[in-house]
Formats: sequence, C-alpha cells, structure tokens
Amino acid sequence: MSVGASNPEYVNARVRSRRASLFADEDYRKLIRMGPSGIARFMEESEYEREINALGARFSGVDLIEYALNRNLAKHFKDLLDWSEGRLYDLIAQYLRKFDVWNLKTIIRGVYTDADPEAIQTDLIRAGDIDDRTLDRLVEVDSIEDAIDVLYGTIYYEPLSAAYKEYEETGALVPLENALDREFFEHLLDGFRRPNSYEPQEGPEAMYLEFLQAEIDFRNARNALRLARSGADLDPAEFYIEGGVLFDPGELSRLVADYDELVDHIAENKRYGDRLSVALDRLREADSLIQFEHAIDAALLEYSDRLSSIYPTSVSAVFSYILAKEREVENIRAIARGREVGLTESEIEDELVIL
Amino acid sequence: MIETLPELATIVLQNGDEAPFLTDVGAAALAVGLASLAAGYAERGIGAAAVGAIAEDDDMFVPGIVMTVLPETLVIFAIVAIFLVQ
Repeated sequence: MSVGASNPEYVNARVRSRRASLFADEDYRKLIRMGPSGIARFMEESEYEREINALGARFSGVDLIEYALNRNLAKHFKDLLDWSEGRLYDLIAQYLRKFDVWNLKTIIRGVYTDADPEAIQTDLIRAGDIDDRTLDRLVEVDSIEDAIDVLYGTIYYEPLSAAYKEYEETGALVPLENALDREFFEHLLDGFRRPNSYEPQEGPEAMYLEFLQAEIDFRNARNALRLARSGADLDPAEFYIEGGVLFDPGELSRLVADYDELVDHIAENKRYGDRLSVALDRLREADSLIQFEHAIDAALLEYSDRLSSIYPTSVSAVFSYILAKEREVENIRAIARGREVGLTESEIEDELVIL
Repeated sequence: MIETLPELATIVLQNGDEAPFLTDVGAAALAVGLASLAAGYAERGIGAAAVGAIAEDDDMFVPGIVMTVLPETLVIFAIVAIFLVQ
C-alpha cells in the first residue's frame, strides 16, 4: 500500500495523450496492405522506433514485430506505474496483475509442452507485479509443481495449489488457468467486499466498480460461448467468475445453449442495453466464434471509453487506455501473422478489432 | 466555553467605536487572500495536468501555461474589492 495523495490529473493528461496517438483505422488499412518488413518499417517511424531499433539486429520479420510489440507494451505500462502515486498507484498496480496472469499461463503452458526456456522468455510481458528475478526462475523450472513452489508467498500460490490436485487427476491445464483468472478478478473486487464497505452508487469509485463488473461480465459471456461452440462436455458454471452483474451461474448455463437468447439477455440489461446498441448489432450479425469474440472485445472497449469520459479524473481513463493499447498490439500482431501465412486482406480485416 | 461565546461576540462588536475588529481595508485584504488561496488550489490540478500534457507533447507548452493561469482571474476580481473600499 503506498501512501500520499494520488495525482489523477497528471496521469490522466499523459494517458489521454497516449491514447490519442494510438494507431487509427486508416493506419490499420495501410498496414494490411504491407508485408512483414513493411510493417516493421512503418512501426520504426512511429511510437515503436526504439524497440524496433533495439531488437532489429537480433530478429527479423514477424518475430521482430512481435517482440517489439511486447516490449513496447511492457514499457508503456511500467510508465503508468512510474507516474502514479498514492491510491491511483495501488489501483493500477492491482489491475496490471493481468499480465502476471498472462505470464503465469504462458509459463505453465510452456512447461507443460516442454518448451525451450528461451522461447518462453520472449513471450512474457514484463508489466506485472511479479519481479523479473522470479519470472526468470519460473521459466527455468522443470515441472508445474516446482513452478507453483516458486510462487510461494504470492497471491497465486494458494489457488494454484488447490487447482493442482485437479490438474493431477485430469491432466488438463484448464483448472490451473481458471484458478488464475478467478484469483485476479476476485482480488480486484476485494476492496468492495469487506464487511463494512459499501457499494458506491455514483462518483469515480462507482465507475471503477462498473468497469470491473463489465470486464467480468464479458469474460463470463466469452467463456460460456467458447464452451458451447467447442462442444466440450464441461459445466459452464465451473468457469464462472463471481462479481459480475449480468449473469448468475444458473442463467449462464441456460443461455449458453441459445446464442440469440444470450445476445437478447445482454440487450435487455439496463446497464449495457442502451449504451452498446451498435456493438450489439454487430454481435447479432456475428456468425463465427471469432467474430463474436471480437465483437465482445469491441463492445468492452467502447464501454470503457464511455466510462472514462464521465469523470475526468477517475482511474477509468487509465484502464480504457490499457485496454486500447492491448488491442492495438493484438491487431498489429494479427496483421503481421496474417500476412505471413498469406491470408487475404479481407480475411485479415475480419481478425481485427476496430471500433 | 460555549456559554461565554455570546459575551465574547458582544464585546467584539461593541468595541467598534475606537478600534474596530475588522476594518474595511482589512476585510478587503482578507478577500484577496482567500481568493488567492482558491486560485492556488484550482491551479494545482490544472498545473499537474498541463505538465503531463507537456511531457507528452512539447507543443502543449503555451496552451498549458494559458490554462494554468486562468484561475488567476479570481484574484484579479478580488483586487477590485480593494479599490472599492479605498
């Protein structure tokens, strides 16, 4: 816990400026027509100049783009922590644990498939709470059990050890990854769950809570649909993350079976219905799982933008920037990978999440 | 202590003839001082945001300064009070 007053004005001014300088729709349209080396050159003339130059000697092609993107992402999010003070710092640091979860998932998957430590290393995004030394040790471990032992003392130790038993029985990574996601989101909501705390009804705090709830809701919807479409014989309630406002576990299991009903359920909700009409139309038109996921991402992005403009000095602006930046990195990666395997322009365009 | 308050107030007010508790000029000075305090508080947030914007983009320097000193108009209005009482 850090002390002192927070400085939302300063952080928000910087964040909004960076949000404005993210790639626009036209830039993506230009990028789609380029090859990997063209994309790298385009990036060199933008924001990513330093990373491309630093990594240019060691890598080339799509790898160069991917590593430069990861490194740039980590740099920007470290910056956020450098600027912020007081309570704002705590909130941002808590939210950036997202990348801890991402890194741990990457490491667990890497260990599971016996991947080369070097290869795992390059896929990490060092923006989270776990320090570099621990991450380096984690990459070197031989078994998932050792990895969990290294995490002793962090918030992930207990949920992971509990999930490990299930993993031993089934041999599937799902319980471990689920435990990580759940721990992350439920930890975020801890502050509002203490016995004598109240749920703020309005003001910046309420926006923050609403943002978290929206993210959990959309995550639940996506998990449920993935399960339904893949036809896996798993109970959607098992993947349910608590704290959202849109579904309860029973509802979710019922809605998963019927796609149209699910979209209607989101539209009927008084919180999302009016504000997301455009995104919901897109959801209705989506006919594949990928399109649905992208439509959900776009909807969340739009929603977070809206929340961030209600209170000029709330932390929501920072979160909406984090989401938008992540989205940019994923878009550029999708374009580069798509060009590499020779997808057509319209196919790549389907892969992008553009507001 | 509270019981003595009315008494204190009467003494302060009755004293008005020779050396008043608060003269016109004194009140004007107080007005300017409070206005400056308010302007300073308002500039705190604007200044922080302006420095943030300038750090991202040097072109924001002039707009940043203009925005930062805008609450200073509060003090200018308060100074009018001085001329009114003189």
